[in-house]
Amino acid sequence: MGLFNSTMLDVIIGLIFVYLLLSILCTAANEWVATLTRRRGELLRKGIHQLLENQKIIGEENNDGFLRAFYRHPLITSIMHDKNHPAYIAPRVFAAVVTDLLTAAKPGSIEFNDLEVGAKGLPDGQVKKSVLAIVQRSDQKLEAAQAAIEGWFNDSMDRVTGWYKRRTQIWTLIIALALTVVANADTVQIVRRLWQDPVLRAAVVEEAKVRAQKPPPTLSVEYKDEDDPTNPTVTRNKGNTLSGKERELVGQLLGWHGPFLTNLGWTTLVGWPLTVLALSMGAPFWFDLLNKFMNVRFAGKSPDEKPK
Amino acid sequence: MQPLKRFQSFLLLALLITSPLVVRADITVALTKGFVKKFKDKATVPTTFQVDKHHNKPNPIGGGSDDGDVHIAGRDSVVKLPMVAEIINGKRESDTFDFLMGMSAGQSIPLVGVCRLWFEHPGNEDQIMGQTVPVPGNTNPDHIFEFHPVAKFGNFDCLDSFLPIADQSNEFRGHPADKAFASYEQRPGTITQSNTAIMIMSNKAGFNYTDFEMRLTGNPKDVGDGFIVLADVFMPGAAANADPLTQEPRRMIFVKGSKPADKVATMSKGGKLHVLGIPRVNLNEVFAVANGLQGHDEYSEGGLPYEMIIVALLKD
Repeated sequence: MGLFNSTMLDVIIGLIFVYLLLSILCTAANEWVATLTRRRGELLRKGIHQLLENQKIIGEENNDGFLRAFYRHPLITSIMHDKNHPAYIAPRVFAAVVTDLLTAAKPGSIEFNDLEVGAKGLPDGQVKKSVLAIVQRSDQKLEAAQAAIEGWFNDSMDRVTGWYKRRTQIWTLIIALALTVVANADTVQIVRRLWQDPVLRAAVVEEAKVRAQKPPPTLSVEYKDEDDPTNPTVTRNKGNTLSGKERELVGQLLGWHGPFLTNLGWTTLVGWPLTVLALSMGAPFWFDLLNKFMNVRFAGKSPDEKPK
Repeated sequence: MQPLKRFQSFLLLALLITSPLVVRADITVALTKGFVKKFKDKATVPTTFQVDKHHNKPNPIGGGSDDGDVHIAGRDSVVKLPMVAEIINGKRESDTFDFLMGMSAGQSIPLVGVCRLWFEHPGNEDQIMGQTVPVPGNTNPDHIFEFHPVAKFGNFDCLDSFLPIADQSNEFRGHPADKAFASYEQRPGTITQSNTAIMIMSNKAGFNYTDFEMRLTGNPKDVGDGFIVLADVFMPGAAANADPLTQEPRRMIFVKGSKPADKVATMSKGGKLHVLGIPRVNLNEVFAVANGLQGHDEYSEGGLPYEMIIVALLKD
């Protein structure tokens, strides 16, 4: 019998399967938290505030007059949902609103000079400084100035996306930790149960086979416009649910059994962090690994199987 | 627990803990449909490239990864993905290289490079066009997209670098065609689409440069910045009646102004060339496949569609 006999292989498959199911739950929870906290919209609000705050406008004493006017503009109010900040604002909409606010005194069509005059006419502040720096490098062309304002916004959105990614990573770890503790998902205990219970192990491998045959948890990306690669919305496919059989198996492998303290031991110190680390790898990783091991497992006859 | 069982348990845990280090998951790259549509039949992409890290000397020339390239890691304004630009025959391009050495980190420059999407250094994270591209920490960060070879760097024309990769003492020959194309033909690839994006999923690929013979099965087509021609692939010097190494003719991409392009422009169906080429994903086929998908269907039966960028003509 080889060192990695079928029991060993099945235990590995079982553990990967559990990691995959927990990762799927983790992803689903993270998406739920993102929706609940309106993560993208709130970070976009923060990004826009950083660009437009500390700028008065003539006739208004408020320090953030320009920012308030921006959010009162019809192009922006039309994309607000029940006072919730939109998750996306197209760069050209941003540039159009800023240009319109700067040239409010000039009805009808505008030219480069109107934009420059409008910017110079603002009280001293952050927007005035930024816009003047931009328009003065636009070769006196309105289109170039508007493109530069879009670029200014895009640079800021790059930062917003960075915040979003970091925030998501932090939430993934928090959710993984919470899930591990609530479900007592101790890697060492999972391995022990799989090793010691051949019936459970066989059921887990069988279910892992079913899961491996399902479509992979691929991602889907959507842009506001097929020619505009800014601010993509990324979602995972709808494999984010566990079947009844999978939930039942997870229940047998994880959980708190008997008095609380009897569940905790030296293995918890190792097993919990291992599980949290594993979940942070994400469902696609474990799906791929599960497929690789299933290929090995079912590529040939099991070493334990007697010849017929 | 018996000693053997204990040892097995230890191995099991060690295997799982180290698996993230050695197992590469499938990685997805997402591109806008507009980008794929625009560049699916182009050889190059013109862009503005922000130089972050670069080699301080060209790779040596020899075997393996000693391919004479100069790597420049940075961020660009068109593709908006983690990016590396590679100048081939770095030693020959001494003017360009000297200019590069004088550039400061973060400086931007107009660049025209062969648009190459290939899962050579995919890393472990999906790459999505338009997401924030981190500032690269070295000259070869995880990337799926690259400008390889560079055709123009600032005002420096690099098309004269599309030659056999050689110096006074060594010549870089590329991988044998039989092994390389066997690998390309079996590359896994899954294509999906949304309303505005196309997603391509695959995993780490090998066999970068390949030495092969191509026999034209059609006439070259002028696509503005280059020529595209369908060709069967053979081992160099293969018999006239040898079986091709590919199941079907593959697209060969030539960059206008380079020696290989000058040569192929004069050829027609039936002609043959001994060349050095590098693979890239065939965006034309990707686009066609994505267009044929219904809703969120996925396509993986045909593997990863690929074509070859011809970087040099080789002597028989």
